[in-house]
Amino acid sequence: MRIARAVITAAGEGQRHLPLQTLVDGNGETRSLLSLLVGSALEAGVEEVCVVIAPGDQEAYGRALGEAVSRVVFVVQSHPNGYGDAVLRTASVVGGEPFLHLIGDHVFISTGQRTCVEQVIETAVAHECSVSAVVATRESMLPRFGAIGGRRVPGSSRLFEVEHVREKPTPTEAEQMLVVPGLRAGHYLCFSGVHVLTPSVMETLARHAAALGDGERLELSPALDELARRERYLAMEMDGLRYAVDARFGLMTAQLALALSGPDRADVLAEICTLLAERELGRFARESDACSEAGAEPIR
Amino acid sequence: MISPVDIIRAGNPQERNTDIAAAARGASLRELLAAADELEAFRHASDSLYERVRACAMLYALHRFHIPMCAEIEQTGRIPFHGFEHVLHRRFEEAISAFLQHQAERGPSAALSSALAGAYHRLTFQTLADQVRRSVRSSVGNRWMFRVGHPADHPLRVRPELLARADDRSPFTVLCEKTPVRMDLTHSGWSDIFLLAMDYPEGARVINVSVDLAVRGRDSSPRPPVEAYFRVIDEPVIRLASVDLGASARVADLAEVFDFARDYLGLLKAALIASGIIPPGLEGSDARLSDVLRCVVGPGLGIELVSCVNGIPKGSRLAVSTTLLAALIAVCMRATGQIRALDGPLAEADRRMVASRAILGEWLAGSGGGWQDSGGLWPGIKLIEGQQAGPQDPEFGISRGRLLPSHRLIGRDEVSDASREALERSLVLVHGGMAQNVGPILEMVTEKYLLRCAAEWEARLDAGRLLDRILDLLRSGDVRGLGQATTQNYVGPIQTIIPWAANHYTETLIRRVGEAFGDDFWGFWMLGGMSGGGMGFMFAPEAKTRALDELQAIMGCAKRSMEASLPFAMDPVVYEFAINDRGSAADRLEGPQALMPADYYLMAIPDMVSSPPAAVSSGRRADAHAFGLACRTHAELSEAPRAIFERMLPPLPVTQGRADDLAEVLAANGFDEEEHEQIRSDMRRGRIGLAQNRLPVNSDIRDVEPGDVTALTDATDDDRAVGMAALAAGEVAVVTLAAGVGSRWTQGAGVVKALHPFARMAGEYRCFLDVHLAKSRRVARTSGTPVPHIVTTSNLTEAPIREYLDRSHVEESVIVSPGRSIGLRLIPMVHDLRFLWEEQPQQILDERAQRVRESLHAALIGWARSMGEGSDYTDNAPAQCIHPVGHWYEVPNMLKNGLLADLLDRYPRLNTLMLHNIDTLGADLAPEAIGLHRRLGGALTFEVIPRWLEDRGGGLARVNGFPRLVEGLAMPREEQEFDLSYYNSMTTWIDIPALLRLFGLNRDDLRRPERVNAAVRAAAARVPTYITIKDVKRRWGYAQEDVFPVAQFEKLWSDLSGLPDVQPRYIAVPRLRGQQLKDQAQLDGWLRDGSAAYVETLGDW
Repeated sequence: MRIARAVITAAGEGQRHLPLQTLVDGNGETRSLLSLLVGSALEAGVEEVCVVIAPGDQEAYGRALGEAVSRVVFVVQSHPNGYGDAVLRTASVVGGEPFLHLIGDHVFISTGQRTCVEQVIETAVAHECSVSAVVATRESMLPRFGAIGGRRVPGSSRLFEVEHVREKPTPTEAEQMLVVPGLRAGHYLCFSGVHVLTPSVMETLARHAAALGDGERLELSPALDELARRERYLAMEMDGLRYAVDARFGLMTAQLALALSGPDRADVLAEICTLLAERELGRFARESDACSEAGAEPIR
Repeated sequence: MISPVDIIRAGNPQERNTDIAAAARGASLRELLAAADELEAFRHASDSLYERVRACAMLYALHRFHIPMCAEIEQTGRIPFHGFEHVLHRRFEEAISAFLQHQAERGPSAALSSALAGAYHRLTFQTLADQVRRSVRSSVGNRWMFRVGHPADHPLRVRPELLARADDRSPFTVLCEKTPVRMDLTHSGWSDIFLLAMDYPEGARVINVSVDLAVRGRDSSPRPPVEAYFRVIDEPVIRLASVDLGASARVADLAEVFDFARDYLGLLKAALIASGIIPPGLEGSDARLSDVLRCVVGPGLGIELVSCVNGIPKGSRLAVSTTLLAALIAVCMRATGQIRALDGPLAEADRRMVASRAILGEWLAGSGGGWQDSGGLWPGIKLIEGQQAGPQDPEFGISRGRLLPSHRLIGRDEVSDASREALERSLVLVHGGMAQNVGPILEMVTEKYLLRCAAEWEARLDAGRLLDRILDLLRSGDVRGLGQATTQNYVGPIQTIIPWAANHYTETLIRRVGEAFGDDFWGFWMLGGMSGGGMGFMFAPEAKTRALDELQAIMGCAKRSMEASLPFAMDPVVYEFAINDRGSAADRLEGPQALMPADYYLMAIPDMVSSPPAAVSSGRRADAHAFGLACRTHAELSEAPRAIFERMLPPLPVTQGRADDLAEVLAANGFDEEEHEQIRSDMRRGRIGLAQNRLPVNSDIRDVEPGDVTALTDATDDDRAVGMAALAAGEVAVVTLAAGVGSRWTQGAGVVKALHPFARMAGEYRCFLDVHLAKSRRVARTSGTPVPHIVTTSNLTEAPIREYLDRSHVEESVIVSPGRSIGLRLIPMVHDLRFLWEEQPQQILDERAQRVRESLHAALIGWARSMGEGSDYTDNAPAQCIHPVGHWYEVPNMLKNGLLADLLDRYPRLNTLMLHNIDTLGADLAPEAIGLHRRLGGALTFEVIPRWLEDRGGGLARVNGFPRLVEGLAMPREEQEFDLSYYNSMTTWIDIPALLRLFGLNRDDLRRPERVNAAVRAAAARVPTYITIKDVKRRWGYAQEDVFPVAQFEKLWSDLSGLPDVQPRYIAVPRLRGQQLKDQAQLDGWLRDGSAAYVETLGDW
């Protein structure tokens, strides 16, 4: 199996500005989120990246990519017809080959030797099947993610045979379908946003698209659920973490995580400590002054 | 004796299902005690829950029905109080250890066995209930709700479709779930009881049909009767409303959601919790409801949940409340995406999930429904069957069966359209109007199953075979055969297992319908747990229209003739029905259609009008505006504005109201206003009250000594001869106390207990009065002399008793003694309620039920405060506001009303009266008792019985060195009661001349009312006045009932034993003679332990 192409979806409603956000990466270089994602794909050996965008976004996205734009193909999703529709629009670009798929609003930071994308690609190549990166996630976060149900691959601590896929399941459904033996109670394997998918996903999406009713959106998770029934499909707990930029304070958290994972880690920690000390000690000093004026002890 | 352990462990099912009674028959006391020891050791050693439960049930049976009946056992004995305390606190294992330790030290006794039986019985049911509870909590899909302990953990979100609206002034979409109710063709011997179905899944089988209903004469056509509405609101609160109960609440505090008994909205709260919107894990947390709602719905938003059952009365036996709970849960689960389809019918997996949550909801709310009761979620006709738990099931190792049964829909290929239509053309569904508590029946059924009682076990197997036959008849479309089969089920297996499922009213209806319709009456069909409420009658199709009309008349007539003796909650109704082929389904109501049911606005709009304008959110205004527009354009809503207007400004009543009716009743019954004022004033000032009922705490109270009591068995042949001679000479009469309305017997329903047809004896339903008159009839026959039989009454019971005697006992020498004393009930003092509930020993309930009870108590204390402590209780029907003033007055009434004077004129040789309670069925004019009373020579001779665990409320004691009867109310310390060997049966032999001397009267004085009145007043002053709290029902709406605690005063007969000049004597009599029936739950044991058969031998029927 060879992974030559990648698909990044960035056309979601209300999320179009997210890939354009700038971050300082681990090496101290200021880059757009899109540039980080495209870069991680290219570093992992991908030759060409296809970015799905909303109409009118190409120019801004092109600027955000810098030199890497030469290895990027833009595909326009003219109407917001769903996540599956965005992926399906890249079918002609990926051309019947397995492909890497990243979502455009997450930052992935490895805690191991290999990048997150490399880990997923290596696993897919080794097992010659689709692989999705997953993270054990508390059930209160289920409304935000797709999740899988399955069983551990014997002899492997990180790999799972996928049996079911559900998009944003309710905890009731998760408890009935998605319990994975060995995980803590109330935790489920949710997608990280990094996948290597075989071309049969495109066939399934095309079939689902043909069967859609008026006003219905084409989603990716039902196609992945079907994929799990048709062929081998693995989930992998990667050595790394994902940060959703669209969450509240998501961009700041992602930036902190990036900064703490690079050579400037000590400087960043020192900045945080200074910030806390100035802020909290300053507050404490103000309270002490107020109390001594009133003849009372400060409450600690 | 066959080892009961061998029975439990037998591999062969026939041996394993051996009745413990058969094994114990003929066994000696030593053998029975050895068997009990073996079972006790076995139940501790066994790892199998099924074996432990069965051993526990057998131990109960040995101690309840076999050991106490052995001739060689000591009848009297102490029950250690600390063991009883363990029972009250549900520490049953500790209680059993304490009782067994006592048995090892002091030897066995019937009294101690009664305590062991009680503890084993409760432990059996507790173990089974724990099984269900564990399964409910561990059910897959329910567990997460117990993990959510903080709003930030909450994983549910309301679906975006319900949050979308055009602008701030537009209403949110309303989601409406409509659900049919279920009727069961057969439940195969109550096999749908959870405890039973999970222990015996192979026998748990039900045919269950989903139906739409219309009340005939009120509704136009059948429709799904249960509706649940959900919508988002623009306030961060939860609004709840029950259209049928006319109740609504704005819930802003999380703790209030878990407060089920606070108002009438407990079911809606249970649905919010069981659906996961307010997960049970949040109970007791310090989370704020607004934070939970922000997470689930969004900032500044909330939820409104509304229920409606379209006026279907309570007690319909169609599982209306479970169906409503399931519909509410379904609509909440749809709204939060736990059910994929926002509208339309439910998928099979969704139905199962909702059914599972409904079980959880019932457990949370402390109520209990059957295992088939969510059947309305499924469409059409289905076969519901228990399932064995397998290794993959969470129930495995906990119970033999799974919590949820399987539902197999019976398709049209199996039961054709023609068969379904034939059923609809023949069946008439009715609500007979009776309101009864089915709980004790379900417990009896489970007990008999666990014991494999022989006849009942055979009946259970028969019921299973009948189900197969009923299924075949449905397949073949033979509705006439179906009618025969359901009738056979009712008269056969159902009544063999539980005779109390039938009653005099139902039997009368069946007979009269049979007489009116002859061959066109095809059969009777009992719905649910017992008859009298929801029932089915099957007719030839051509007779159905006539039957619809005539059944109404037949039921109405039967009800009118029995309403004094049986608990009716409403007038009977006839339903139109249709089989529902859709099951539960939801509709989205959007735009101008986004409205709640019309009656909802009868509550909502007056509430908005009475609120400050700023307190009414724009969403509620928009809703009211939309409803106003709809009233102009929808013909069916054209009357709504007038109804709302009348709700806000009710027209003046035509009559002058309840208070005046009550005043008339009081005036007509000799109500003593002065005495009432005194009592009310004393109660308010704290001079009298529950705490003041007690004797001084330094009273020396101990058990009687051997010479204080004479055993009836010590009566000699001479005593018997004296008694026979007295009877033959016409010297003895009977006084039956029948002034009461059976507060405990029918939980405050206000029926005349004396007339309650409680059991079949000699082939017919008999009321208490029938039994007592039959005994007098027999004595009169054997002695050759008529026995005067006096029935004392109160204003509540006199007219019905006279009417009954005129109708049914014309030939008897019965004399009615009219009551001459009446009291007006009072709103209780809060300190008395607290004393009753918090300081007196109470049986702690199961965990959830106890929480509900505590919540109810808090609500009732609030009610007492709001109504005014110590004020007159007038907010009910007049008959429920007044009370008889205690049985002390009943003999003095005979002096005051001239009855004793007349009696002595008519029977000049009369000198002895036997006075007894209406429920002491074994008391009779036994010659040996008469002789013994005369030999002992006291003015009053009281009969006492050996105390058993259930005999609470005082007993025979030595108080400061003198033997006397002490009421439970007067015991300074509860534990002192447990030192007493004897309990008061209330049966008293009265020497008439000595009685007159006690009152300071002679025979001539009896014709001088002023002397009599003065004597009674003087005697009354010598006995204490007790304040008691009684439950009283208040009926409203469609068969809805509330129970309120009210205060009343009483003077009690047995306190005469404390007067020094009475010189009372005491005879110890066997329990068969002296036991009292206070609670209908006692009936089954009374029948099974031979008491009923004993009573039957005493009478001429």
